[in-house]
Amino acid sequence: MKNSFKIPGIVFLISLFISNSLLAQKVVRYDLYVKDTLVNFGNKEKRAIAVNGQIPMPTLAFTQGDTAEIIVHNLLQESTSLHWHGVHLPNREDGVPFLTQMPIQPGSTYTYRFPVVQNGTYWYHSHSGFQEQIGMYGSLVFHKKKDDPTFRKGIDDLPTIPIVLSEWTHLNPHQVQRMLNSGSDWFAIKKNTVQSYAEAIKTGKFKTKVTNEWKRMEAMDVSDVYYERFLLNGQTESQLAQFKAGDQVRLRIANGGASSYFWLTYAGGKIKVVGNDGNDVEPVEVDRLIIGVSETYDVVVTIPAEQTSYELLATAEDRTGSASLFIGEGIRQLQVPLPRLQYFEGMKMMNDMMKMNGDMNDMGMKMSLQKMDMNTVMYPEMKPTDMTAHAGHSKQVPKKMDDMEHMQHEKKNEHSEHVEENEISTLSYSMLKSTEKTNLPANAPVRELRFELTGNMNRYVWSMDNRVLSESDKIPVKKGEILRISLYNNSMMRHPMHLHGFDFRLLNEQGDYSPMKNVMDIMPMETNVIEVEANRDGDWFFHCHILYHMMAGMNRVFEVGNYDNPLLPDKKKAYKELQKESNMIHLMAENDFATNGLDGSAMLQNARWSLGTEWRLGYHDMHGYEVETHVGRYIGKMQWFMPFVGFDWRYRKMGMHEEEINLFGEKNTKDNRSAVSLGFMYTLPMLVNFQAEVYHDGILRLSLMREDIPISRRLRAGFMLNSDKEYMLDLRYILHKNMGIRTHYDSDMGFGIGLALNY
Amino acid sequence: MKSSRYWMTVSMLLLTIFAFAQVKNSQTMTVSINGNCGMCKKTIEQAGSVTKEAIVEWDADSESAKLTFDSTKTSEDAILKRIALAGYDNEKYLAPEETYQNLHACCQYERTLKAEENPSAENASEHQHGTVENQEQINTLQTVFDGYFKLKDALVKSDANASSTQASAMLVSLEAIKMDKLSAEEHTSWMNVKNSLIEQSKLIAKQKDLKKQRAEFNTLSTKMYELMKTSDTQQTIYYQHCPMYNDGQGGNWLSKEDAIKNPYYGSQMLTCGNTVEKI
Repeated sequence: MKNSFKIPGIVFLISLFISNSLLAQKVVRYDLYVKDTLVNFGNKEKRAIAVNGQIPMPTLAFTQGDTAEIIVHNLLQESTSLHWHGVHLPNREDGVPFLTQMPIQPGSTYTYRFPVVQNGTYWYHSHSGFQEQIGMYGSLVFHKKKDDPTFRKGIDDLPTIPIVLSEWTHLNPHQVQRMLNSGSDWFAIKKNTVQSYAEAIKTGKFKTKVTNEWKRMEAMDVSDVYYERFLLNGQTESQLAQFKAGDQVRLRIANGGASSYFWLTYAGGKIKVVGNDGNDVEPVEVDRLIIGVSETYDVVVTIPAEQTSYELLATAEDRTGSASLFIGEGIRQLQVPLPRLQYFEGMKMMNDMMKMNGDMNDMGMKMSLQKMDMNTVMYPEMKPTDMTAHAGHSKQVPKKMDDMEHMQHEKKNEHSEHVEENEISTLSYSMLKSTEKTNLPANAPVRELRFELTGNMNRYVWSMDNRVLSESDKIPVKKGEILRISLYNNSMMRHPMHLHGFDFRLLNEQGDYSPMKNVMDIMPMETNVIEVEANRDGDWFFHCHILYHMMAGMNRVFEVGNYDNPLLPDKKKAYKELQKESNMIHLMAENDFATNGLDGSAMLQNARWSLGTEWRLGYHDMHGYEVETHVGRYIGKMQWFMPFVGFDWRYRKMGMHEEEINLFGEKNTKDNRSAVSLGFMYTLPMLVNFQAEVYHDGILRLSLMREDIPISRRLRAGFMLNSDKEYMLDLRYILHKNMGIRTHYDSDMGFGIGLALNY
Repeated sequence: MKSSRYWMTVSMLLLTIFAFAQVKNSQTMTVSINGNCGMCKKTIEQAGSVTKEAIVEWDADSESAKLTFDSTKTSEDAILKRIALAGYDNEKYLAPEETYQNLHACCQYERTLKAEENPSAENASEHQHGTVENQEQINTLQTVFDGYFKLKDALVKSDANASSTQASAMLVSLEAIKMDKLSAEEHTSWMNVKNSLIEQSKLIAKQKDLKKQRAEFNTLSTKMYELMKTSDTQQTIYYQHCPMYNDGQGGNWLSKEDAIKNPYYGSQMLTCGNTVEKI
């Protein structure tokens, strides 16, 4: 018996060996040990995750044609996963927990194995929770074979350096998400981007600020999170001293940041872009480029002089910080830092672009492909000639949108004719040209899809077609079909949209040579069209790669063909898990420990539902005790409307024959009152909350309330008045993300001052 | 007036002492930082110093600074990077070109630490030079003017030998001028200044003492000014003036750029002066 088993075994082994050698496949194996660690990017040690003891994770290099075998040893206390960003592979190796595999459990070992069918610059990262923010990102390089017909002399034979950009926050990323959801402006305070009334008055932008709040917008910014550090290969500053004058170096740059775009500039001259998202592009020289979250760019830089190293400066889009790499030996030549953004200019631009109903208005401009960067109005380094000199205006900022359009035309002309000497040339998607024709098969059926990217900054809900993932089914796609997807960004932020498992064709001016990408940055009001040939089975994630947008629901799944994934025995249940992950319930709470009582609230919310309780508890019966609880649902894209069911209880000792009469002449004489109500809340212009509710005993109550009026960087004011002739005014000075000093006057409880804590 | 100045000095002194007292775990070192003048000193020290973290005291004569800093909070690199970003080259970092250009004219020190960039850029300038030579056929005086500017640049660098060589070269081109190629106006002024120009050039060529060379150069420049004024110089020429030269009697020179590079003092007071006329 035993023998008879052995023979087929040997035959099998031999045949395996033969087939392997026939295909000349080389298996390249990496072992990755994922482990908790402590890092010190400031003065305190914080938790992070290191792989093989390092952040970023080690660079994994393969040659096209190899078989990749990556063995993950999960030494964490939590589950993990690894996603191979931009890589074409079987769906089960794609690394999205609950979509293509089950999470890799703590203490277990897991093997990813796939043939390497591409060449270029890629990266890999964890797709579990917020692990990507705290260290789980690394470079993934697929080398071209030497005899590859597409081998480019002068580019593919240059020395290459893999680079991963990232950022670091001292906060636990779960807290970051919760703070974003609860509308905390702590990050704005840290970044000094509160755009307060005091600042507006000081700079003569009061009207702009009022218009902004009239349109129900909070302070504007180009990114949401404050980071303590920006990192390039895990460091804020480093040097490549092995290169000398005249050397050309190819940098394989991946943006592994969780939510930061980076501007790249180089002190040694122009940056030559030769590849994007793993695909070769025709070389194009620019002064700077922005690399979206999760994008990769291959660039070539030259060292112009002896004994000097030149700074490659990666500046976060919000310009709160940067990371530097000095290329060359010797003294370090610095690059001019990008100056702080002019936020009120941006605010003015937003005011013009925002309709009263919260939709974006592109003023009839057809915006696409990063050609017209509206944020340019905020860039002080842009000289007047770059902006409106062509349009015949002396002012730096275009007043009307037709000027902007004019500018767009002017820019286009310049590209075809000449670029002025002192103009900063910036890369846009329209300049990316594939080295080969990229037309998809002409005979395949084409299906048109359209998505509108939607979002709500105030409640930090991000969605597509105003639906978060937990409200969306998978999108079925026939294998072999071509999807022509048109995306329109109707939200206020830019989004790096990433499709798993495929390259898509981004339709631009280059026609047949439109570039192939796997991430597309789409700016507010832009419309871009992409084409995908759905030729690989499986469930493929399509999402915004800003981690906090993804976790807020800005995702979809394309279900191509009828893929039976052996790793997911219960696909339906798994999909429910995935949906749940991006619509987590978050808690926020605050309480003011004041001299006249306790004043506070607590809320549990997800993308649509809100369960909230407010209380005002005096220290004696005359001041009274009051608790109001509401369960409501936010309606509409902007979520300005929330109908609710309420339950109120209050006790207040009133004097003999004392009675309360409200504005409508309704009397209320009870000391002790419990009531059920129906009502709604609506956000009015100037961000004033209007609340109307009818109690079961017929009593009507209307109220107006505004919280958090930004007086100065840390000072906030608020007010409330209602038809019960009650009113309240307050002022709060923010000391810390969880603490402030608050003083208020309440018509029931009088004047109070206290310590306000919030979570 | 006097007393207020006294109090200012005292309070400054107290402030300095106070600031010193504020830096804990202090480490001190001396580093070289390029710069020119009192204004440079202020910018360098402000850019480098941070309350309770670092104090920078810069000295113009030695172009070096004393750094005193809390080594647990900051580093030499961090301080020097800030100073370079303010426009001042130092032993670790070079200022961005744009920042240097934006410095006040009197602060634009000589960038001795910066290496010559980009061989291809050099080719480009040579190419430009070529076109200038073509133009010389149109205006023969151009060879004289070029010789003058080279001489001036040598003086800016305070290089006596080079000045002497350039003066001899200029002498050759002066003697090669063919008067029949000159316009009527040029012809007149040429006749007026020719002898003086040849005389001064000879004197500078013979001299190995910078001070004397500069004295001759002053006379040469006034004559050259007369000539250039009547000549079509192809590009804008700046007639510049240093009020301090020759014990306050002043000195003039001509330059192809608006930015001041003083040939009478060189790096000592490189950017002292102003443009009085554009030709």
